[in-house]
Amino acid sequence: MTTDSTAHPTHAPTGGEPPAAAPELTARTLRATFGFGNIGAIWVLLLQIVLFSVWLPDVFPTAATAKQILNSNAGIALAALALVVPLTARVFDLSFAYTMSLSGVTVAYLMVHTGMGLPAAIGIALLAALLVGVINAIVVVVLGVESLIGTLGTGSIIQALITFVTKDISITDDRLTGSFTSIGQTDVGGIVLPVFYAVLAAAATWYVLEHTATGRRLYAAGFNADAARLAGVRVERLRFLSLIASSLIAGFAGIVLASNLGSGSPTAGTPYLLPAFAAVFLGATQFKHGRFNAWGTLTAVLMLGTGLTGLALGSAPPWASNMFTGVVLIAALASSGVQRRTRLRGRRAP
Amino acid sequence: MADQPVSSGISVLRLRSLSKTFPGTRALSDVSLDVHQGEVHALMGQNGSGKSTLIKILAGYYHADHGAQAWLDDAPVALGVVAASRHDRLRFVHQDLGLILELSAMDNLALLGGFARRPGRIDWAQQRRTTEAMLSRFGADIDVRRPLTEATPVQRTIVAIAAALAGWEGGRGVLVLDEPTAVLPHTEVERLLQIVRELRRSGSSVLYVSHRLDEIFQIADRVTVLRDGSVAATTEVAGLTRNSLAELMVGSAVNADYRAGSRTGGDGEVVLRGRGLRARYLAGVDVELRAGEVLGIAGLPGSGMEELPHLLAGEAPDGPAAGEVQLPGSSAAWWSVGDTRRPRLPIVPADRGREGVIAEFTVAENLSLSVLGKLGCRGRLLKAAERELVDTWTRRVQIKAASTGAVVTSLSGGNQQKVVLARCLAAQAGVLVLSEPTAGVDIGTREAIYDLIAEQAAAGLAVVVSSTDAGDLVAMCHRVLVLGRGTVVAQLEGNDISERAMMSVLGTGEH
Repeated sequence: MTTDSTAHPTHAPTGGEPPAAAPELTARTLRATFGFGNIGAIWVLLLQIVLFSVWLPDVFPTAATAKQILNSNAGIALAALALVVPLTARVFDLSFAYTMSLSGVTVAYLMVHTGMGLPAAIGIALLAALLVGVINAIVVVVLGVESLIGTLGTGSIIQALITFVTKDISITDDRLTGSFTSIGQTDVGGIVLPVFYAVLAAAATWYVLEHTATGRRLYAAGFNADAARLAGVRVERLRFLSLIASSLIAGFAGIVLASNLGSGSPTAGTPYLLPAFAAVFLGATQFKHGRFNAWGTLTAVLMLGTGLTGLALGSAPPWASNMFTGVVLIAALASSGVQRRTRLRGRRAP
Repeated sequence: MADQPVSSGISVLRLRSLSKTFPGTRALSDVSLDVHQGEVHALMGQNGSGKSTLIKILAGYYHADHGAQAWLDDAPVALGVVAASRHDRLRFVHQDLGLILELSAMDNLALLGGFARRPGRIDWAQQRRTTEAMLSRFGADIDVRRPLTEATPVQRTIVAIAAALAGWEGGRGVLVLDEPTAVLPHTEVERLLQIVRELRRSGSSVLYVSHRLDEIFQIADRVTVLRDGSVAATTEVAGLTRNSLAELMVGSAVNADYRAGSRTGGDGEVVLRGRGLRARYLAGVDVELRAGEVLGIAGLPGSGMEELPHLLAGEAPDGPAAGEVQLPGSSAAWWSVGDTRRPRLPIVPADRGREGVIAEFTVAENLSLSVLGKLGCRGRLLKAAERELVDTWTRRVQIKAASTGAVVTSLSGGNQQKVVLARCLAAQAGVLVLSEPTAGVDIGTREAIYDLIAEQAAAGLAVVVSSTDAGDLVAMCHRVLVLGRGTVVAQLEGNDISERAMMSVLGTGEH
């Protein structure tokens, strides 16, 4: 599991040698790029495809299964992508799942009970999500509550409000068919629109994190807030904005989810809470050596989704899916933890 | 020289051939040390001399290089093993005391020594009596049930000593006191010295780490002086004078005549003013800095010399702080030090690992962090512009790295420091603040840093540098403010700046 450490020599020459030239394309760098330590999830994904294809030759290796895996995981992908930016700045947003429920319920409620048009309802639902983001940011950044606890609190309050308005009953109505369901159910060649939304959201997240100064500062704030602050990074402001970003993406994901379901369910978002976190953390072990990143997150969603779909198709016992997720998550993070310790050795030097 | 016992005492602790190499630096080189029974043995040396590395090896925090040997009472001891730190004969009071301040003295002692028990629960009454008995030996008069946050610094130190000595019945062993007086007010230092004398009377040995000359003459029997990782001398204190001891510490490691740049600077415009600066230790300091000037801040820990650079740089202070800062270069406004809107100045912080480098970042990412805003176009980070900036500064500051894409922690301490320095210089703010710029930096890099600062100052950069290493200030500064008890007690200029001059102000124990 230490293959990736070869990309970063732990003992750089410090004698009189001039700085070395850029690393050449050698067997070592190839191994670092394509090795298990860097793209382990892709290897596991390929292994799963082989295993399930041997085990279930009739049902698994088909275009229908592939499309089903993509379509059924788009929601989790969007939810997980909402978490990438705040986690990069080391802020946990547990309220995102409740924000998803909130925006879905809001659209459904407005359309059914007030007869509002779709665009206006969506606009108001996104405003509600934005409001949640601002409240989260005030609780976490201004009041200084630990983000894990603070957003657990705001999430709880959101759920209370949803239950108060809906009496815990899903909002269903004929008015929710048609244009509303087309947001999440329209398919292009068998692949539904949410898959494309997820890819677009991933691309946008990737661009911000990799190609803007803001992205670099987000990583700096997350890795070492004190050092970042002294280097002139406005850490608090970034954390504030990252919570707003996660709520907006979660709000959008909630609308897509409600459209997919064709109803406003008061608990639609909660099942996404843990799988989304699992995917983001698993994604951080991919491609970027421990940094939260968009494409790693998508890969992790796909890998976990493929495993779960395969197990379901093979009529695995009901405990198998949770067991699979748990084992993969711990194995991935433990092995990358080993790598990080190997790579950061020497940190204790004075 | 170190191998020859100066007195005929019996060695309780013996160290031989102790070396420690970190990537890029050799912190200790072939050190030998004997601590005799019933003596107070002082361990002295400047910052970076290897004192703390030696203590950390004894405490089991670092491994020693292969070949090191140690004996306690003629029984071999494994160095660099945490178990050794629990050794019955070797006890530690570290500089930060290692106490949990939110807990009471009783809880702190019990965490180390175990709780008095009745079947199934803690016997609080018995525990309290035990704790009071342990502390009464040192004359500490505190409520053992109140949290230590309410205790005075010397009371905390006493609790830490009592905790270290818990269960140490025979007393035949070595207590290591690491800078025990660093944060004590002068009035309480004498009490601590009394306790050390009392320990010696009872037959224990004390390895006393300090850089306050006066204390050594008051309390130590023998002294071992470390310089650049080697033993400069082990000798009887009685045969030393203040000057000869200072000479041993300073040595010729950094050429005493080394002067970076000219001795005069600062006929330029005033670029930074501070007035009435107060914080936890600072008690009203005024500062004025001119373009092209290198201003030094000297002082012992607790004098405010650690706080001043951060206040000047514009970092929001942790505790209460007062005073105003003006940056005439950008505007005539006076900013309150707590004002988060005031422009910040680039600062090279003292604690490189915690506040300087971002360990997960590459050399390039660390270097460009403070100037990212200038490397873009409508929010987009232009990688080519970043590469050019990184290459320019890597060359100018002479950072030695396998590649700028290498993780910054793969570099030696000195080169990591150069990365932080390059980041600050790249910001081109006209003023630079340095706090302990050469801590954990090898001699070669140290002189490179001196030269670099001199070159930048000659080009008009104004620099504030605070350092506990007098050599830094002598080599770099045009003017030095010596702080004591939060105020400026002396100002040295030009050729008057010398280690001797600073030591005589600092070492008098008036702080």
